[in-house]
Amino acid sequence: MTELDHQNRCFLELRNIHKRFGGVHALRGVDMSLNAGEVYHLLGENGCGKSTVIKIMAGAHPPSEGEIILDGKAHKELTPIQSLDFGIETVYQDLSLIPNLTVMENVALSEQLVESHGSLMSKLDRPRLKETATRALSQVGLPVNHELLGSIVSELPLAIRQLIAIARAIACEARLVIMDEPTTSLTRREVENLIAVVSRLRAQHVAVLFVTHKLEECYRIGGNAIVFRDGECVAQGPIESYTRADLAELMTGRQISEKRYRKAAPSQNTLLSITGLSVPGRFNDVTFKLNKGEVLGITGLSDSGRNELALAIAGIRPAENGTIEVGGKPVSIRSSSESISAGIGYVPEDRLSEGLFLNKSIYQNEIALILRKLAGKLGILDMQKGKQIARDISENMRLNTADIELPVSALSGGNQQRVLIGRWLSINPEILVLHGPTVGVDVGSKDAIYQTIQTMAEDGMGLVIVSDDLPELLQNCDRILVMNAGDVIAELDGASTNEDEIYQAMLGSVQEGAA
Amino acid sequence: MSSSETSKNLLAAQSHSSNRLGNLISKRPEFVTLGLLVAICIAVSIANPAFLTPTSLIDIGRASVVIGLFALGVFVILAAGGIDVSFTAIAALTMYAVTLLVQTCAPGLPIIFVFAVAVIGGIILGVVNGYLVYTLNAPSLIVTIGTQYLFRGGLLAFIGTTWIMELPGEMGTFGRVSLLEFEAANGAVVSLPMYFLILPAAAILTWWITRRTLMGRAIFSLGGNPEVTARLGYNVKIVHLFLFGYSGALAGLAGIVHATANRLANPFDLVGTEIAVIAAVVLGGARITGGTGSVIGTMLGVLLVVVVDNVLVMVGIPSTWQRVFVGAFILLAAAFFVTRQRKFKPTK
Repeated sequence: MTELDHQNRCFLELRNIHKRFGGVHALRGVDMSLNAGEVYHLLGENGCGKSTVIKIMAGAHPPSEGEIILDGKAHKELTPIQSLDFGIETVYQDLSLIPNLTVMENVALSEQLVESHGSLMSKLDRPRLKETATRALSQVGLPVNHELLGSIVSELPLAIRQLIAIARAIACEARLVIMDEPTTSLTRREVENLIAVVSRLRAQHVAVLFVTHKLEECYRIGGNAIVFRDGECVAQGPIESYTRADLAELMTGRQISEKRYRKAAPSQNTLLSITGLSVPGRFNDVTFKLNKGEVLGITGLSDSGRNELALAIAGIRPAENGTIEVGGKPVSIRSSSESISAGIGYVPEDRLSEGLFLNKSIYQNEIALILRKLAGKLGILDMQKGKQIARDISENMRLNTADIELPVSALSGGNQQRVLIGRWLSINPEILVLHGPTVGVDVGSKDAIYQTIQTMAEDGMGLVIVSDDLPELLQNCDRILVMNAGDVIAELDGASTNEDEIYQAMLGSVQEGAA
Repeated sequence: MSSSETSKNLLAAQSHSSNRLGNLISKRPEFVTLGLLVAICIAVSIANPAFLTPTSLIDIGRASVVIGLFALGVFVILAAGGIDVSFTAIAALTMYAVTLLVQTCAPGLPIIFVFAVAVIGGIILGVVNGYLVYTLNAPSLIVTIGTQYLFRGGLLAFIGTTWIMELPGEMGTFGRVSLLEFEAANGAVVSLPMYFLILPAAAILTWWITRRTLMGRAIFSLGGNPEVTARLGYNVKIVHLFLFGYSGALAGLAGIVHATANRLANPFDLVGTEIAVIAAVVLGGARITGGTGSVIGTMLGVLLVVVVDNVLVMVGIPSTWQRVFVGAFILLAAAFFVTRQRKFKPTK
């Protein structure tokens, strides 16, 4: 009985929390209560206030109104150290790792900082640092060795960094672990491992709060759904009691179907033909064709070579062998500008660091590819014309055309992605390679992006979607190529295949290879 | 079947792709500094064997103390992602003000207390820097350019402009207390002064603070990402006050060493040497953008600058050419570090 009491006790409560940033009313009276040992999924579109609520719990922002109740004690606001002291650990979407410190320090320094209640005048306990880091890293499934512990975080791949951020959150004695989109760059196997970590935390009466756009994962993990819309909590309850369509409707306030977007059929004219393309050690001997008006999906685990293949086609990391033909003519692609002049556009996976000029306005981002065309005789840009083109693009991408002077950094992830894809509309490439087009994008924006993809295909463009979001591929693609260990090991028909089949193909030869 | 399989592959692919030497250099850039230093020393001693005599080595040791103390302060601030150009003004102000104070109030004050007063003065001025950088949330370069003018202008306007030729009491004699003595070939006695010990002591203290305390890790963390550092619960204000205060303390110390070594307190001294000090720290492998560097690298960078400054004459390069050489050196080293430290772009 006491065990149950302990488990069900509400230890953290938010009462009537409001938050205003200047004129923006980001949270409008949020009430939430969290119980020990429970799992919560905080759902909602980008910009609905999810991140703000997390930051308030983590002590990064003070609320404008309302109170935070920790173990029955009311607080007007929390400082980061108070929040950590109470046992609230956060895995931020940006991971919040210190890039120049080692893995060991990133994972385990917080523990000592929290124990000293924020005082910096204490000696580092290095053996303890190592011990804590080793324990936490092995819990998230990383191979712990001297080399990893001493690695500088900025030199590690994103997926590893994500696991390190999770390890840091569980390194301390936490009571609530908040994870803001923890699985965006994890492969399925790493996600499985994360789910195991979550069940372990639950067994220790730790509450877990997920923020995610991946509904399938929410259902797999189970627990409670908390749905936000426009800064308000619109629903709270066991996730099994909602269907995917219910949740999508609650989040967007309108009905969104899980339909297959792909309706049209590709033409029979070959547009892109790739033969024997390889980058040694990354992918080998990749051969495929893409027809006009076709949408081709490429998937695989994160180390399957799919990413490198995309980068090779885009000319960012050129292939070493093989040929690429566009419209029957062989082209040489040694750089991104060669790729663009061959008629191939590329939308990178990491839009923030590789695609967008964050401080520049929407229109400047949208016309970035055609500056030379806009330049007059003296090299002076015709900005009136540029803005007109940008307005057309925004309209096509269903962005608010009145906003084109806003900096891109002020937009939500979904709208940023629309700007990035829209940029290519200015030059209409024959082929567009989209790398993870909806990573971290909300349901509403996904819908807009998928419709744009289909419109572009119907207009005759050939599209390649490189992604590990299987529903996305199933909804959009004519064919899906599955890669494993650098080889294309399966070609599936988008209309008739299903997630299981793709997943088996992705993993299938891994097991063969390991055996 | 666990994720460690994939992670292992990812990690393996990464270490495979970067060669070992490159890895070592980007992790421990001070090896490059050491290599350069050794190469120069060998070249110079072949050209002029007099280089390897106690006389010139002691000269180098003596010349390293003040720039070395400054460099340790700059290293700590660079590590936190800032930059400081006011430390020479802090040194000049504390040096002159303390000398004047001792001369008029307590000529018999033991040297240890003189140093203590100078360190306290340096801390106060440094904390002013730290407070301004934190509260104005302004780039520390701009703030310290401002305070450099303020401190130096204040010194010359309110405290004095005349040289103090006769240092009071122990300040006058401390510079002559020697640690080691040698008889040079020409019969003259050369000595390594006692004050030389201050540099290794300060270096060890700085190493301990940066590597072995939470404060040290907070300083590097601030240099890596200030916003995240605050989010993780570090008190960023305290870190700012500490690191500028510490740099100020070292500058105060350096000021008194400078005065006792020259047996003269000249209020016009020191200011103008900041760039050489910052160059020494960067040559020691610290990135100007912050978050990196080491004490040993800083010390090697200081030696490199001092050696180049002192020995070019010995191999017959006219002193007018020294700046050209030092400049070329800094460019070379910078180019080298930048290509070596270019961030590894994860393939995901």
